[in-house]
Amino acid sequence: MRDKVLAGPLELDPFAPDRERLENTLTRRVNADPESVERGLAQLVLTIVELLRQLMERQALRRIDGGTLSEEQIERLGRTFMELDRRMEELREEFGLTEEDLNLDLGPLGRLL
Amino acid sequence: MTTTIAEQEVALVDLVDRLLGGGVVIAGDITLSVADVDLVYVGLRALVSSVATAEEKNALPAMGSAL
Amino acid sequence: MIELYAISDDPAPPDPPLRAVPCGRLTALCGPASEGAVTAETLWRHEEIVEGLMETRNVLPVRFGTVLEDERAAARAVSGRDAQLTASLDRVRGAVELAVRAQPREPSRDAPGRWGTGRDYIAAKRRRTAEIRMVRESLATAARDSVVQTESEHLRAAYLVDRDAVDDFARLVRRVQRAHPGLDVLCTGPWPPYSFAEAGEPA
Repeated sequence: MRDKVLAGPLELDPFAPDRERLENTLTRRVNADPESVERGLAQLVLTIVELLRQLMERQALRRIDGGTLSEEQIERLGRTFMELDRRMEELREEFGLTEEDLNLDLGPLGRLL
Repeated sequence: MTTTIAEQEVALVDLVDRLLGGGVVIAGDITLSVADVDLVYVGLRALVSSVATAEEKNALPAMGSAL
Repeated sequence: MIELYAISDDPAPPDPPLRAVPCGRLTALCGPASEGAVTAETLWRHEEIVEGLMETRNVLPVRFGTVLEDERAAARAVSGRDAQLTASLDRVRGAVELAVRAQPREPSRDAPGRWGTGRDYIAAKRRRTAEIRMVRESLATAARDSVVQTESEHLRAAYLVDRDAVDDFARLVRRVQRAHPGLDVLCTGPWPPYSFAEAGEPA
């Protein structure tokens, strides 16, 4: 009954969050060592940044679709978001967080990703 | 067929999404999912607990009631 | 206090300690309210009960943790929503829920050509979004119904699939995965129809 995976990639990690970090978050255990505090904060901050980044990207795409932007403006927008994306990935790697780790549950709005 | 830890975790994510985010909603007198924020905690706690059951029975601290 | 596990249009009594509470033309399947902390084990045990019920009757699973004062309260709550619940039960009869998640496979950060011009970035994003939409639509052809929970570059969806079509659906997922090597595609199930239980107003 618990054998639920019907089809999936060999590497399932992208579909499961990082359990070690979750453990600390859940038990609300206050690990006072600087590294843990920093990591917990990082997760919080990056989750919100990721939410904003996605919202802005979607807005930008809608504007581009609207057809009122010049080629140069489109190129600039694209480059800006590309840099944001790259920077987010670097930050995630720096703190050992996967995309699923930032997959915020927005309650009635569903999940971020 | 025995499931791997990864398979269990992945299945648990989908289970929690359904149990806490789906199903018929009938206002109970007491519901374990009191607020959406609590849902996240309950969901994540369940995920960690499953790992404890599978491999680290003695290593995780005791968890209090979800309520 | 009692806990509500599922709602059915079949009045047959379940195995104890569960009870069938009549609610007009529907039946509420209840048990003693569970105590203690919520853990993965509690969630799986709850799920086992609901799936056990699903094996022998058409059910709508109820959200986890729905506790009511007594059977009368349960009967009141359920019969109060008789029309919608009956419509949902008709909608899910003979079917199960399959969960699908799909997302781009992470390329290595330094892969050549990964970061091009701004226009390249936007074009790649549109391509990924279109690919995810294609996956969603392909799978929908093998399902009775579907609910999309999130989309754009990540897909998270629930499909209502005939019981005897589950294997075909799983095979289709694998085919879709092979056709889209840039994506990771996951399918879990079968689940009771959680995502199709709140169907809204009857047609």
